[in-house]
Amino acid sequence: MTVYVGNCLRVDLTRREILRGRTAEDGIGARTWNSHTLMRELKPGVDPLGPENILCLAVGPLTGSGLIATCRFIASARSPLTGYLGDSGARGFFAPELRWAGHDQLIFTGASDRWLYLWIDNDRVELRDASHLEGLDITQTTVRLREELRDPDLQVAAIGPAGENLVRYSIISCNLARAAGRTGMGAVMGSKKLKAIVVRGDRAVRPGDPARFEKACRQLQANIEGHPEFEARCRYGTTRIMDSLANMGVLPAYHYRSTVFEELEKVNAEALRRGHIVRSKACYNCNIPCSRYNYTSYSEGEGPEYEAQAAFTVKCGSSDLELAVGVSNAVNRLGLDCISTGEVIAWLMECRHEGLLSESDVDGIDLSWGSREALQQLPEMIARRRGIGDLLAEGTRRAALQFGDAARALTAEVKGLEMFSADPRGIKGYALMNAVNSRGGDHYRGEPMIELTGDEELALKRVGNRNAAHRLREEGKGALVSYAEHLGLLSDSLTICKNISCCMDAVDFELAADAYSGLLGKDVPPEELLEACARTSRVEREFNLREGLRPEEDTLPRRFLHQPIPDGPSKGAMVDIGRLVGDYYREKGWE
Amino acid sequence: MIRCDIKACTGCRMCEVACSSRHFGAVSPSLSRIRVAKLEEVGIELAVVCVSCLEKPCLACPNQALAVGGSGQILLDDGKCDACMECVAACPIGAAGFHEGRPLFCGLCDGTPSCVAVCPTSALSFREDFRDVRLDGFVWPGSHPAQRRARYARFHGEPLRAAWQNGARIDS
Repeated sequence: MTVYVGNCLRVDLTRREILRGRTAEDGIGARTWNSHTLMRELKPGVDPLGPENILCLAVGPLTGSGLIATCRFIASARSPLTGYLGDSGARGFFAPELRWAGHDQLIFTGASDRWLYLWIDNDRVELRDASHLEGLDITQTTVRLREELRDPDLQVAAIGPAGENLVRYSIISCNLARAAGRTGMGAVMGSKKLKAIVVRGDRAVRPGDPARFEKACRQLQANIEGHPEFEARCRYGTTRIMDSLANMGVLPAYHYRSTVFEELEKVNAEALRRGHIVRSKACYNCNIPCSRYNYTSYSEGEGPEYEAQAAFTVKCGSSDLELAVGVSNAVNRLGLDCISTGEVIAWLMECRHEGLLSESDVDGIDLSWGSREALQQLPEMIARRRGIGDLLAEGTRRAALQFGDAARALTAEVKGLEMFSADPRGIKGYALMNAVNSRGGDHYRGEPMIELTGDEELALKRVGNRNAAHRLREEGKGALVSYAEHLGLLSDSLTICKNISCCMDAVDFELAADAYSGLLGKDVPPEELLEACARTSRVEREFNLREGLRPEEDTLPRRFLHQPIPDGPSKGAMVDIGRLVGDYYREKGWE
Repeated sequence: MIRCDIKACTGCRMCEVACSSRHFGAVSPSLSRIRVAKLEEVGIELAVVCVSCLEKPCLACPNQALAVGGSGQILLDDGKCDACMECVAACPIGAAGFHEGRPLFCGLCDGTPSCVAVCPTSALSFREDFRDVRLDGFVWPGSHPAQRRARYARFHGEPLRAAWQNGARIDS
């Protein structure tokens, strides 16, 4: 039982060779280690789905400790969806197990010629044949591995058929439904023919300065339990925001054609809880059971969170919540990112609505708003690359090339990564976050949540500008997004759940420094953590520039810049992207 | 003894963290006397800990190293234990752990169990008079403790799943 930090396993899948090494010296944990590794070791311009790409999967020093919600791993590689930095985190129970096994970072290089899984039983690590798992979905793969290794407590991170078939937005998932969902890390894993990583860990995480560490743990627990949203988050998790986004007028109804969804009460958090939720679920060591288990007449599983709930209802113009729950379960099992999958389907429906597609373009599938047929069939077709699914598996940016300029104008992606289920025109901080962050169209890189709560005092405290709390104003958003990005990077490195650290503002650099110092038993001031995050932020930008990123790509789809929101409380809002991005560049000191 | 309300358990494992922290000053499930069985594919979680069952098969220790305390907890005489682990193998629900050559039994933290205190949904409760549990139906020779915990959780989850099948939801 010791404090151990920085052990790295290098797994060469071509040679089937496993070497032990150390994580990057200048990082503080998961995402910082991964980004530095990719910057140093990845050759620019390699095929993201070729053997030269490098897949890193890391935890951090606090993972598996007593600090609440330190439960995430970060998977990073060059993204097959964007061509830029890909990385994504998953919560659940896999990350702490990897930490207890004594490994902080896994670096996968090369590619196997047949399916393998990595078996980590503490110090004993080996690659094993996985040909019998080919084609199995994530639930089947996980259950099978736990059965054949005769240990139901094993932690498994796996890809589904989508990852095997190199769908560019496929996921790596643990605990059946806890996904590293964004930027296609599942496809990278699939390209290496690595079906799963199985872990058993029996070692312990012992803080070096228990008094200081305990103090930080108690502080975080108090911050969470004293938070005004604590009860609502326990009850509804992220699904609670559907009503708040509707009240702000930023729901993406009918793929951003409206912000008003007439049948909201059929698909919102309360409807979900009343109709389909049987149980609350939590991630490792978390006092907010924000996740839920669903049970419907034809499927069951964990979730959905807000993104899947909204994508498969409001965004696709469907008020059939049971169907959406079923689609969410199917998408998790197939190993698809629910955000990108929902966006692909909703975009197709809008193209159909605009008369840009004929039925023969899409295998005769009914693509009218809310089509049951489309929602049920397309995820399976995408994951198996059947029919039109083969094209859709490439993501909206590539698929749109086949459907012409008018269809391309309707996409909602940035740098190739599909956007979330909210309308950025009415939330300017999120608009900027989507435009500039290092993984493309994404809100969760850091959450400029202050503009959703409108808390001026907090805005003043965090970024020195009360205006930053006003969602429809452009002022102060450069500083807000920069702060949110650094806090996101801190969370991704110390592996703290971002719903807690970023969305609830329950962690700041001071608290993180206490926890980090207490765990390591040496004093690390908050400024040092901030500098580590700022340094990694610069490295990630340099990485993307090296892969060919042009500053003019720091923007949003045209509709959000030139067409005002047509209805609802945010009616008339548009994004002045030049002003927002300019403010952000000034904040960063970029040209 | 400590009981877990299967309807309220969220599977967060804060009980394991509290247990290993209190007794070892470090966090690891392998050091915890309470373990959460998670049956993810059927949506069931249950914290499994010694229930001071009526049969107490663990007491068949070849060295007589085990005895029953005043609250029903299992007490280990360290000097007599020769690490044969027969007690660990005997527990029908996998509630005995082992660490550095010694079995780990829940000692009820002198009447203030940390796991009960930390449980965020009050799924865990402690009462001196919880002592009526029979476990003879769970004996499963050749299995591992984790498999036995899982089977015990599955058994307790069946009525819950039957209720879901009949339309019960979280608030009903």
